[in-house]
Amino acid sequence: MSQPMVLIVEDDAWLAEQQVRILTKAGFSATTSPHPIAAIKAIDTAHPDAIVLDVLLTGSTAFALMHELQSYGDTGGIPIIICTNLASELSLDNLRPYGVRRILDKTTMLPDDVVAAVRSVL
Amino acid sequence: MSAKRGTHEQLSGGPLGDGLSSLIAAAHELKAPLALMRQLSLTIEAGELSVGESRRMLRQISLTSERALRLTSDLTRSARLDDAMFALEPINPHQLCEDIVHELTPLFAAHGRDVRLMPRKHPLLLVANRDLLRRIIMNFGDNALHYAKDDSVVEIQIRALNEGKIIRLGVRDYGPALSTDLWRSLQTKLVTAPQPVHARPQSSGLGLYIASQFADAMHGTIGVIRHHDGATFYVDLHASQQLSWL
Repeated sequence: MSQPMVLIVEDDAWLAEQQVRILTKAGFSATTSPHPIAAIKAIDTAHPDAIVLDVLLTGSTAFALMHELQSYGDTGGIPIIICTNLASELSLDNLRPYGVRRILDKTTMLPDDVVAAVRSVL
Repeated sequence: MSAKRGTHEQLSGGPLGDGLSSLIAAAHELKAPLALMRQLSLTIEAGELSVGESRRMLRQISLTSERALRLTSDLTRSARLDDAMFALEPINPHQLCEDIVHELTPLFAAHGRDVRLMPRKHPLLLVANRDLLRRIIMNFGDNALHYAKDDSVVEIQIRALNEGKIIRLGVRDYGPALSTDLWRSLQTKLVTAPQPVHARPQSSGLGLYIASQFADAMHGTIGVIRHHDGATFYVDLHASQQLSWL
């Protein structure tokens, strides 16, 4: 059985590297994109089972990407985990229509929380 | 009571004297490096890394803390712009930029990127405050690091404009083209006070706003040029007349 694939959309290369390491160790496949345009290409090629998405990204925001994903039947169902420093300003109820299933607060989360969050949405 | 009132007045004025929003923007800007350092240190603490991995993460923590400290240092410097005397003096920009490249190289190398100073045939002199000019270029360097593609080179360029009356120091990155929306947003951020992040996607623009304040204090201006493969952030300053007297 192939490992579930997680796409990490994160413009901080060191944080993205950290999340790849943790998810890989937990048995997932993981790939990263630094911005939404690269993420759309990665989604087409990697067909992720879940997306870990930062909010403030280079060139565009997570919301533009979520709108784009919701526009297509094959991408609208991919569960999204928002991982952001702005968690206290976001409401999960408001973001559910965009496919968001969990919100992680970067300022308080533990490194392994990303694994638990991914497992909970698959 | 007076101490409390004083604190309240400082908060109302904000570190940049433009309202509480600048304080909130500063807090948001510092969240990212602090959150990264916390994640890295928790991972090291867990003790499941090889020696090499631990060393690499410790280096990342050091470099991230230095970037955060540069921002806090710029903020305090910015808050004192009005009541401090800033000596403007003739400065060799090539020498200054060489020092900056030397200082930024470890950070860029750790991110798999390079920074270099583009060579010039003829020496130039400009009028500036060495410390403020250094902070502006370091700020542009940090910005370019964020936008530059993996394995790309960020170039620091020095040019004479307007028949040699203006000297332009630019930091050119090679990355994704700026979208029209981001371009408009940057144009605004160069001249307006920073806003809380939730109101201004991507970032608060605090670093650019501080850079524009530093440039103002030296009778200069900052700007950005959009390329199909990246951007150049620049500061224009008056040339020194000393060379023409030789």
